[in-house]
Amino acid sequence: MSSIKQIPVITERKGNPLARVFDEFVRFCRSRSLFILHYCTGCGAIELPPAMTSRFDMERLGIQPMVSPRQADILLITGYVSIKTLKRVILTYEQMGSPKYVIGICSCTVNGGMYWQSYATAKKLDEYMPVDLYIAGCMPRPEAVLAGLQKLMDRIHSGEANSWEDYFRNYDYYLGNQQKLFGENWQTPTDIITEAKHYDLIGEGTLGKHTQLLEQHQKPLEALDMRLGHDLKEPTE
Amino acid sequence: MTLTPLDELLLFSGVTVLVAMLLGRRLPAGWMVTILYGIQLLALMKMAPLGYGGEAISSALTFKVMGQTLSWRFDALSWYFALITLGSALLSSWYACGEWEQRFRQSGGNLWLFHFAMTLNVFSMLILLASGDLLSLFIGWELVSWAGFLLMAMAGGVATKAAMRYITYAMAGAMAIFGGIALVYVSAGSLQYEAILTAASQMSTAHLWMLVILFGAGFGIKMGLMPFHLWQAPAYAETPGPGSAFLGAISSRMGLFAILLVLVKLFGIVNIDSLKIPFTLIDARDLLAWIAVFTIIFPTFTAMKQNDARQLLAWHGIGQGGYMLLGLVVADAMGAAGGLLHVFNHATYQAALFMAVTAVIHRTGTADLNKLGGLVVRMPLTFMVLLVGIIGLAGLPPMNGFVSKWLVYRSLLNEGMPLLFVAAVIGTLGTILSVYKLIHNIFLGQLRVEHDKVKEAPWSMMIPMLILAAIIFITGLLPGIPLAWVASVQQAVGLPVPDYTLGGVESASGSLDMIWVIGVLFAGFGIGALIFYFAGGRSKRVHQLDNYAGGHFLTADVRYQYSDNFYAGLMHLIGGWYRGSFLWLEQSVKSLVEFLSLGMQGLYRRANAEFYLLSTALFVIAWVVI
Repeated sequence: MSSIKQIPVITERKGNPLARVFDEFVRFCRSRSLFILHYCTGCGAIELPPAMTSRFDMERLGIQPMVSPRQADILLITGYVSIKTLKRVILTYEQMGSPKYVIGICSCTVNGGMYWQSYATAKKLDEYMPVDLYIAGCMPRPEAVLAGLQKLMDRIHSGEANSWEDYFRNYDYYLGNQQKLFGENWQTPTDIITEAKHYDLIGEGTLGKHTQLLEQHQKPLEALDMRLGHDLKEPTE
Repeated sequence: MTLTPLDELLLFSGVTVLVAMLLGRRLPAGWMVTILYGIQLLALMKMAPLGYGGEAISSALTFKVMGQTLSWRFDALSWYFALITLGSALLSSWYACGEWEQRFRQSGGNLWLFHFAMTLNVFSMLILLASGDLLSLFIGWELVSWAGFLLMAMAGGVATKAAMRYITYAMAGAMAIFGGIALVYVSAGSLQYEAILTAASQMSTAHLWMLVILFGAGFGIKMGLMPFHLWQAPAYAETPGPGSAFLGAISSRMGLFAILLVLVKLFGIVNIDSLKIPFTLIDARDLLAWIAVFTIIFPTFTAMKQNDARQLLAWHGIGQGGYMLLGLVVADAMGAAGGLLHVFNHATYQAALFMAVTAVIHRTGTADLNKLGGLVVRMPLTFMVLLVGIIGLAGLPPMNGFVSKWLVYRSLLNEGMPLLFVAAVIGTLGTILSVYKLIHNIFLGQLRVEHDKVKEAPWSMMIPMLILAAIIFITGLLPGIPLAWVASVQQAVGLPVPDYTLGGVESASGSLDMIWVIGVLFAGFGIGALIFYFAGGRSKRVHQLDNYAGGHFLTADVRYQYSDNFYAGLMHLIGGWYRGSFLWLEQSVKSLVEFLSLGMQGLYRRANAEFYLLSTALFVIAWVVI
């Protein structure tokens, strides 16, 4: 699973011949309307304002910043990811609705960059979450950022950018790496396994010994139910 | 002597007061009083032809005092206001029966006094609305003032202070009205409406100015017009829940009723229009319009700063009064209809809002906007009622507040008053911002740990709220129902009448059909819903702690609800404008009076009998000589 190419992609669809046209249309729309949540962890963030504003203007590509992960499509991580930050990045990533794409900007996300020797930095981002695209450089110029975003758009259009499915199919692998770094008690509010079932993306690597470890101590956060209160039962402790 | 329907109504109302007074300590007093309000409403319905242009009904009871005939009568104007009064009294009283009542008694409230004060308020309001001449108007006015005082002061503590402030204002207003009545008597020789109508057209400008100022100030105090608005919000907010719903719905509209009766019907808006203010381009009518507009803006923006839900609503009650007066002062067919319709609409949503907030207090024990949040999952019906209410208050479709505000705006544009229009829109902006604060801080956001086991309000409180919410929506969908009453009121006070239909108004300069507006609105929602459900309709509920806070892991003990210093960005811009100038004005008048009274005290404390005798004698001689 270290290579995105190995993920089985279902290309043939039986039944309705219009379905393929429809899928093509959906992918086209998807690639032309992208909201990015920029998780600015390091110095690479400084290249984003020129990319967003009038000089390079990424809105002409249909890309806009967004303030919350629930509505965002792209998670943009711009720089070194310390272990403390990585927890937040994973929380944010899991809160995003699928399909979602991750872009690592700067060398630090690729291999730790100048923080290679740091004890507190996660070197490779794609050990903890599937990354669609790296934009290397220290730091990459806005032209490079835009070129990377265009590349991502092409990949979304062609249907190749589906690494988010990998997070569900191989959750055990990613969780294992996370547990190695954060300890055995690591958990986020999002229940990935239920979500994988929801998307019908349970793969061979979804469940494993790491998810078993998670289930042992996981305290699920149940959604608040809307209730009129007249039939309110006292919670049984 | 046969009893007319008006006599029956007043009789039933008096009986209700008696029942509340004598049997008020019995347990089902609340239900009894509520049923009696229902009977009063039925008696009012017997006079329903009044609401559709029927002949005025007189009371059989008349008597003469010092050559003046006191009489009582109901016309379309009285009927319209009485309908709102009795409707809000019925629903607030219904709301009070049951669990609210028990809690109120357990926490040491005087239930007998509450019911007695409410019935007395209704009775005195009906007397005022039925007044057939200026003298009976004044009697009714005083009754209403004191009955209101009783209801406002009964909670004790802060409420008594607020009520004292109210009664000070009210008495000053009553004195102004009394002075005005005396002036009218001097010029017209009678206090009958017919005599005043003929005399008004021949009054000199100075005379008319005096009357407009005296009556305007006197009635304006009750309405909470600028700069006499300071008393109202604390007085209404501190009244026990259903009482504040009733007061907020109708009480200060008595001022508008009197303005309509005296300034519009008797003196005539055309006469007022001819009163020019020297060296300026404006006349008395413009002055009134601008007072109305400032009454919209300042209290509304004061409401935005309140951190207590009841105070916030009470301040809006003042601001919305400005829209009613503004519509009436424009006085074309649409504007007057809008102003009058707003009385009805405001009563419905204001009562619903006060009730919803009281339900929240009933369940959580607080109305502090910084101590609530997330209650939508625990009190969803109350949330719905509050939502319907604030849409009405903010004047957005599909609720009824939209119709009346639209009419007022339309008339301002039609009559070529763009500055007033812009000012009114600024007021609406403030309304929208502050009602969002209200619903957000109570119902949206994070549910507090201590509110996890909160229940929905009991049905005895819920049903009146739901009825009000239904009225707000139905009269928003079919504004023709209240517009029929409004049209006969306009006819009765001599204002032009718009062409109304079931769905709104027809006019060459722009019609409104709410059936279409709401149809299109819901069609929009419908299309959205179709797309959503055809695309699978998949949604996922998440826990409130599974939220985005810059990536932080949220825990129940960390508050992430943004409620304190709401609109910090806006306050950064306009915060400097909140200077408390009117409080300063009130304080300085108070200090002046205190200073004068100190001087007088010093004078009579000397106890020099000879000095008093001498000065009195001197005054008498001077008076005789001059």
